Amino acid sequence: MARLRLATVWLGGCSGCHMSFLDMDEYLIDLAEIAEVVFSPLVDSKQYPEGVDVVLVEGAVCNVEHLEMIRRVRANSRILISFGDCAVTGNVSAIRNVQGGALPVLERAYVELSDPSGGIPSPSDIVPKLLDRVLPVHAVVKVDTFLPGCPPSGPMIRTALEKVLTGEPIDLMEHHLSFGGYGRPKGSEHLPASPSSSQSHS
Amino acid sequence: MAVKTLSVDGQLISAREGQTLLEAAREAGISIPTLCHLDGLNAVGACRLCLVEANGRLLPSCLTPVAEEMDVQTQTDRLQRYRKQIVELLFAERNHVCSVCVANGNCELQSLAMRLGVDHLRYEPQEPECEVDLSHERYGLDHNRCVLCTRCVRVCDEIEGAHTWDVAGRGTHCRVITDLHQPWGDASTCTSCGKCVMACPTGALFHRGSSVSENVHDRETLHALILAREEKQWLV
Amino acid sequence: MGQRIVIDPVTRIEGHAKITLHLNDDHTVADARFHVTEFRGFERFCEGRPLWEMPGLTARICGICPVSHLMASAKAGDAILSVRIPPAAEKLRRLMNLGQIVQSHALSFFHLSGPDLLLGFDSDPAARNVFGLAQADRETARGGIRLRQFGQEIIEFLGGKKIHPDWCVPGGVREALSDSAREHIKQRISEAIETVRSALDLIKGLLERYPEEVTSFGHFPTLYLGLVAQDGSWEHYDGQLRIINADGTVLAETSDAGDSLELLGESVQPDSYLKSPYYRPLGLTDGMYRVGPLARLNLCERMGSPLADAELIEYRQRGGRIVSSSFFYHYARLVEILACIEQIDALLDDPDLNATHLRAQAGINAQEGVGVSEAPRGTLFHHYTVDEHGLIRSVNLIIATGQNNLAMNAAMLQIARHWIKGPQIPEGVLNRLEAGIRAFDPCLSCSTHAIGQMPILLQLIAPDGSVLDEVQRA
Repeated sequence: MARLRLATVWLGGCSGCHMSFLDMDEYLIDLAEIAEVVFSPLVDSKQYPEGVDVVLVEGAVCNVEHLEMIRRVRANSRILISFGDCAVTGNVSAIRNVQGGALPVLERAYVELSDPSGGIPSPSDIVPKLLDRVLPVHAVVKVDTFLPGCPPSGPMIRTALEKVLTGEPIDLMEHHLSFGGYGRPKGSEHLPASPSSSQSHS
Repeated sequence: MAVKTLSVDGQLISAREGQTLLEAAREAGISIPTLCHLDGLNAVGACRLCLVEANGRLLPSCLTPVAEEMDVQTQTDRLQRYRKQIVELLFAERNHVCSVCVANGNCELQSLAMRLGVDHLRYEPQEPECEVDLSHERYGLDHNRCVLCTRCVRVCDEIEGAHTWDVAGRGTHCRVITDLHQPWGDASTCTSCGKCVMACPTGALFHRGSSVSENVHDRETLHALILAREEKQWLV
Repeated sequence: MGQRIVIDPVTRIEGHAKITLHLNDDHTVADARFHVTEFRGFERFCEGRPLWEMPGLTARICGICPVSHLMASAKAGDAILSVRIPPAAEKLRRLMNLGQIVQSHALSFFHLSGPDLLLGFDSDPAARNVFGLAQADRETARGGIRLRQFGQEIIEFLGGKKIHPDWCVPGGVREALSDSAREHIKQRISEAIETVRSALDLIKGLLERYPEEVTSFGHFPTLYLGLVAQDGSWEHYDGQLRIINADGTVLAETSDAGDSLELLGESVQPDSYLKSPYYRPLGLTDGMYRVGPLARLNLCERMGSPLADAELIEYRQRGGRIVSSSFFYHYARLVEILACIEQIDALLDDPDLNATHLRAQAGINAQEGVGVSEAPRGTLFHHYTVDEHGLIRSVNLIIATGQNNLAMNAAMLQIARHWIKGPQIPEGVLNRLEAGIRAFDPCLSCSTHAIGQMPILLQLIAPDGSVLDEVQRA
């Protein structure tokens, strides 16, 4: 069986979902055997390739580059997984929407809080223009599966990948995923509804 | 007391006259999702999550009295679809950011989304500008997270008897208010009893000083208080 | 005519960035710039939020070092409540911060920079990553993965989650450490020490293997800023903020977090979302300073634990008392991991970790507060003002990576000038530009309060600024 062509993409988020991906720990070594990571912030490819089997997209769509990127990702990928709350709902990345456009937010960071007060970095081919409204991924392209959580846990990501590897349909909601939560693999139903409330390990 | 016999999801159940469909179904072990409903408070049918099909009509089970030979369906595809839609619309109406909410993990809206399989929103978030009121020395109010279930209004009026809370404004400007829309800390009728915070289903009302996912709605204390008031029963 | 080369995205770093090179007609390097292309706007949207939500909210700035934001934010909250937190809470915060430095440094060394260092700067780009490393040298990769896991588990035991635990709060912390967790961590100490000592042996060999990189990857004098303990030992959570110059002379020192902000200015460059802090008394040009592992090891007298102290002596034998090569960031990181593991081990025996009083209670007693802590990448400042009820009025965040921005740009230029010799630019040279950035282990999620990935696109720019040619790095 040919190795699965796997990609991960990072738009406007905090990288916590990618860190949670790394929290699969030693499974990463097994993953290196069965899948080829063809594009990711963790590897050195600079262009999103064609013929990707499955892609995890972290983060919301915040600027014109994200917009361009996510369209390319959709066109070149068989299964697109909206990965974590920023991709799924906009989450913290989208809080700035309430302030009405990108300008007030930029002014606060670069004009009022800088010294010497420099002015806002000018959008160009180098510094991409911000969108006035941050969007979840599915507002721009079709999404195949949603994996909510801030971030989804390592074991949960592994569960999703294993389903892809075996070609099963991915219904992740049976795993008690919730917005803001920390999805857990099946079998932990006896725990409280959302594990994001602090629990001691006693 | 007359007994009514009705069919719920094809199962024959008996209920006492005057009971609502919701109460009868629950006694029979049939679970219907609710949000604005809270045992011991007057039902208002505000959230529409407990809609059922009774003799083919859509009715809120929290307000519909049982009737003889009623044929009730609680889990049809149409109902599931509506419930999911309602939850998505509630999320889209205000600014619910579960991950950084004081009620994360103790929120009825969040649990409903999970239970109903809401894994994303098909509706565009409205993103209204909402205030946060921290003027009360013990509690806080964040309109971003309010679902207008009016539990706070009812518990304050019916159980505490202070009627500090009410509702003002229409449409997107609808807000729960204290007294005549003063800051909560200036509301002279408020007894600081905290029942509204216990009753709130989301992170809209919280204990001041709560950090993310730390606010617990102490429902048990509230139910004990309601039981004591309504039934003159004290749990010791 | 000149040429502009853009590397887009810069990969294997935590953030979205690009590098541009500006070449002269004779293919010598005129300028090199490092651009951060993401922005999320935390400073604005935190306004109006309750103070107590800030640790959890600002943690979402960064998934790599959320704990640093928890610490700095909670400390700013402590200042606004005007409380001294219970001793047990401080120890528990320290424990979590140590766990975080271990996991973050392990990530930097093994997952992100390891592929360059261990497989080679010129190795096949398709396999030059942690997955390729896992296939080429399974045991080294496994050791690195397990070392990061060791740190992540400490965070999880304390806070209930590996990433974004909402555990640090103004006034203290929410949970103590259970006995079973303590035992579990203890059992993994010796393996963790073994892993980092092997990595130290590796890096010492690499210094010999890459002499040219050591001298060209941002090797220049700067100022250094960071926290040190009262007795001059290495410090990561509290203590004195100190700034030294390139020969080790102390320029300023303060124990008041609020005063420290007076020492820093922040400037904006037109082609990056990353702000550039500088040491204000010396101005933007001479005020360039570095933070993070390299700076912390330059600032302290000793590490404060036996194995790490011995390593520090050897480190200084190789790099000097004040080490100025940014390549040494990798080495410094490993010395710090060792110190962290030793400190974790010592802390685990502290009976205070079982204490029940973990939180000081108070209302709003000051309307302004600054919290400082050492993030893995350097000193982090959270500066808040609040209204009388505790709603946030203003937020300014000065992030470790931002403070290295001027030095990273200088390093870019140095690497480009050293390695680019003619019109043909091999992939391995472009990778060295990125590797130079990786040495700083920038966390751009943090620095722009934004996030992304780094592209490298080389663009050739004429003296009048027009783009003459582009080489997209693909």
